[in-house]
Amino acid sequence: MSITEKRLKATVMDADQIRRSLSRIAHEIAERNRGIDGLVLVGVFSKGDHLARRLAVNLAGLEGAAVAVGVLDTSKHRDDGHLRQPSHRATSHIPEIDGKVVVLVDDVIHHGRTARAAMDALLDFGRPRAIQLAVLIDRGHRELPIRPDYIGKNVPTSDTERIEVLVEEEDGIDQAVIVVS
Amino acid sequence: MAVGPRLTHVIESQQFSRSSLEELFARSEEIKREPHRFMARLNGQVMAALFYEPSTRTRLSFEAAMMRLGGWTMGTDNAREFSSSAKGETLEDTIRIVSGYADVIVLRHNEEGAAKRAAAVSSVPIINAGDGAGQHPTQALLDIYTIKDELNKIDGIRVAMVGDLANGRTVRSLTYLLSKFKDIKIWFVAPPQVAMREDIKAHLTEHNIPWVETEDLDSVLPEVDVVYQTRIQKERFADPADYEALKGIYRIDKRSLGLMRKYAILMHPLPRVDEIAPEVDADPRAAYFRQAHNGLHVRMALLDRLLG
Repeated sequence: MSITEKRLKATVMDADQIRRSLSRIAHEIAERNRGIDGLVLVGVFSKGDHLARRLAVNLAGLEGAAVAVGVLDTSKHRDDGHLRQPSHRATSHIPEIDGKVVVLVDDVIHHGRTARAAMDALLDFGRPRAIQLAVLIDRGHRELPIRPDYIGKNVPTSDTERIEVLVEEEDGIDQAVIVVS
Repeated sequence: MAVGPRLTHVIESQQFSRSSLEELFARSEEIKREPHRFMARLNGQVMAALFYEPSTRTRLSFEAAMMRLGGWTMGTDNAREFSSSAKGETLEDTIRIVSGYADVIVLRHNEEGAAKRAAAVSSVPIINAGDGAGQHPTQALLDIYTIKDELNKIDGIRVAMVGDLANGRTVRSLTYLLSKFKDIKIWFVAPPQVAMREDIKAHLTEHNIPWVETEDLDSVLPEVDVVYQTRIQKERFADPADYEALKGIYRIDKRSLGLMRKYAILMHPLPRVDEIAPEVDADPRAAYFRQAHNGLHVRMALLDRLLG
């Protein structure tokens, strides 16, 4: 379903805000990890992988070196598999993560269940030294003890609302919107 | 809706606790996103704007805020020249009278401490909209809300305050508010003639907030998340020659943007003269018009909190 079929309530981030948020998060990642040595960015499919690639570009600009980027499909590790229609599956591509600091990147965190599934899925590929979590939007309502390390924007929402992040690579525009189903 | 003790007067920014600030931010955010839900909140209530000093934006912003909440406004722009104060009436007497007419009084005065004096005799809430070189708390509230809105955090930020720090009440009020947050670092960039006053520096030291004083703006720009530029306040210089010597000393232009971080924001309480080149306006980091716009929502949230 496209956004036009639902009620658009508000735009919470435009392209400039998304770009500046990713730039700030890149600074925060570099600062917190004292550089990018031993750092791997892993984007959660879909959307998170695009954001992870953009963070990698930002970090390369800051630190003058490339950061490994991976993409993670969490579908097999979700706790609601029996409730969801099978959807398009991506294949995970994960670089070497043993002993590395992995920053998981996702577009929105809500209950925290996708982040939980992502950590589980990631651990199938090795044993990172640490996992950190970066999200473009934190909409609250956590149901698990999970807190992102890097947040683009906190957007308080109600349960009847949804947040949709559009990315230029897939949707032709960078925008985060609140829609009411 | 208000949690904790009811807010009575808004006199200085120190009076806000971190939790009351966060509550105000949340309400401002709600109003910004869905203004129509608040259009009848203050139906039938009256705001008096008493302005003893000229101001366009602050006054219009307060009036718009009150009207968008369904309230009414009345006021005087030149309270000093045209009102009973020209006949010798004291501020206290004026406030006693006006507080019988209005549900809230917004006061802008040329003397430091005027808002406190007004609050002591008023039967309705007083909002300080600037008292001389004292404070301008609602400007500071919208400033810190803008930082939160733009950077999604206040803890841990690095701020440069630039320009006329001796006469700028907005930087004073904002510094007090910043001192309530964690891991803040502040650079005061000003020539010695208009350096930040000692009381603020002592306040920061007392709260263990590192601060640095410098005259070199270029060396600070790459370090900070927020550049808060201010106007050299011509009207507060006794000798025009002193003003001439300082005007144009810090000008932010395309070249300065090149030194700033990609996500950093440039703020200014406005009005500006030439301390920010117009070519900067189109850069997404130029946050000053968004900042001014935030003033409406923050003032609506504040009026709602005082009267709602």
